[in-house]
Amino acid sequence: MGASMLFLKRRGKPAMEKIFEQALLYDFYGDLLTEHQRQVYEAAIFNDMSLSEIATEQGISRQGVHDLIKRCDKILQDYESKLHLVERFEVAKQKITTIEGLTKIEGAVTEKDLSERLYKIRTLTKDLLDTL
Amino acid sequence: MAVKIRLRRMGQKKAPFYRIIVADSRSPRDGRFIEEIGTYDPSTDPSTFKIDEELAKKWLANGAQPTEVVGKLFKAAGIEK
Repeated sequence: MGASMLFLKRRGKPAMEKIFEQALLYDFYGDLLTEHQRQVYEAAIFNDMSLSEIATEQGISRQGVHDLIKRCDKILQDYESKLHLVERFEVAKQKITTIEGLTKIEGAVTEKDLSERLYKIRTLTKDLLDTL
Repeated sequence: MAVKIRLRRMGQKKAPFYRIIVADSRSPRDGRFIEEIGTYDPSTDPSTFKIDEELAKKWLANGAQPTEVVGKLFKAAGIEK
């Protein structure tokens, strides 16, 4: 990439995060959709295709694609509200990342710091085990 | 030939990230694309958006159409025609 590369680290706006949330829900519960639903939903969230592009490809109306995606969103969210797999995954990932960070030691470290780190790690692993 | 700037999902299950690609509007699925101009990783906190600004501006000036999501990313990064 060119020299003028822009590097942005920012908290995503909800609209941009939507496709990501849909992707995660799909990764967990997508197998529970029908083949046709999967095809349309994947076109929208993996390939970022527009409603009219999907409509042309699938031979259905634009409105039909819109309704189908809405319905899939709802089906996937209903599974999540009952099973909470994505939520539990996110929480576990967060804790594991924190543990990983606690194991990384740079430079000199005191005995006290080490035992504090171990204590935090123990607390986090206990939390993780409790939520299994 | 209509050219679009869109996201393409990469990454394994449960760890999605996206490439921002320039592609012919007629081949959204077959994996072919003209150029990759950036990446978007929403799984980091905060999310990470890398874009070659020059290329993005060049394609926009040449009439390439960003999708809704890409348009929003561009706007957030202050990229306009």
